[in-house]
Amino acid sequence: MSVPSDLRLEDVFSGMELSEVVFGPVERADIVRYAGAAGDFNPIHIDDAYAQGAGAPTAFAMGMLPAGYLAHAVSDWFGGPQHLRRFRVRFLTRVWPGDEIVCWGRVDEVEGRFVKVRFEADRRGPGPRELELPEREPALSGDADVEPA
Amino acid sequence: MGVGERAPGSEAEIVFELPVERGKVREFALAVAEDNPIHYYVEEARKRGLPDIVAPPTFTVTQMWQVPREERERRLGANLAYERVLHGEQEFFYQRLPVAGEVLTGRMRIASDISKQGRRGGVMRVVTYESVFTDASGAEVLRALYTLMELPPP
Repeated sequence: MSVPSDLRLEDVFSGMELSEVVFGPVERADIVRYAGAAGDFNPIHIDDAYAQGAGAPTAFAMGMLPAGYLAHAVSDWFGGPQHLRRFRVRFLTRVWPGDEIVCWGRVDEVEGRFVKVRFEADRRGPGPRELELPEREPALSGDADVEPA
Repeated sequence: MGVGERAPGSEAEIVFELPVERGKVREFALAVAEDNPIHYYVEEARKRGLPDIVAPPTFTVTQMWQVPREERERRLGANLAYERVLHGEQEFFYQRLPVAGEVLTGRMRIASDISKQGRRGGVMRVVTYESVFTDASGAEVLRALYTLMELPPP
């Protein structure tokens, strides 16, 4: 969790590192809550038996849940979501119940009033034992254009 | 930009309403662990020059409530094999954030549909749905691109 910074355009420079923001661990209840809020009832995210039938060891989070956390982190880095002009994420791997989501980023360049930023959200946690996942790996990567105050 | 084969009778676009209700905005903000008060408290939003609480940046994914996957499939006719589909990418372009109390109009279409060689062999399909959301005055509020990847059959 974090709060919007009061960062202003004149404080931003290319190569600037943005402070890490950690969400989670993602609990099953968080996945169910997001399913209801978004209207995404794909059973692969809530039903272990269904997920196993599709070759996954357990149900796993929908990508837009950590993407929502990431949008929150980017918004807070630049003073609030009102400053976002574009936001893009790519989904790299699945996020499992029990994973923490570690968001970090860097300013790519400043162009007039606009700031281009790149970021990543890593999953951090044991993951399902069968998969022998690394303790931490990139789950989402993305970039955004923001217009700070 | 190629457009793949459409199911017979499919439509070019789906037009739908997306009501931006205070309760729904708060519910969605909680689901993405938002703690910015502009998503919860009208007073806090107004202090920052906003007319009411505003939706978090990814809020329009709630369009799934208005147009569920089955309806989208039936009406736009992309013919995707969902047991092999992954969400590959998502992008939003903002003019502003949706404000509680307004009803947005969404227009969803298939913006691109390409096939390419998969990294592990076989042909992968990449379908991008575009949804453009406009306000009561007809001005664009935001645009969302939802990209699905259909993996080659095993």
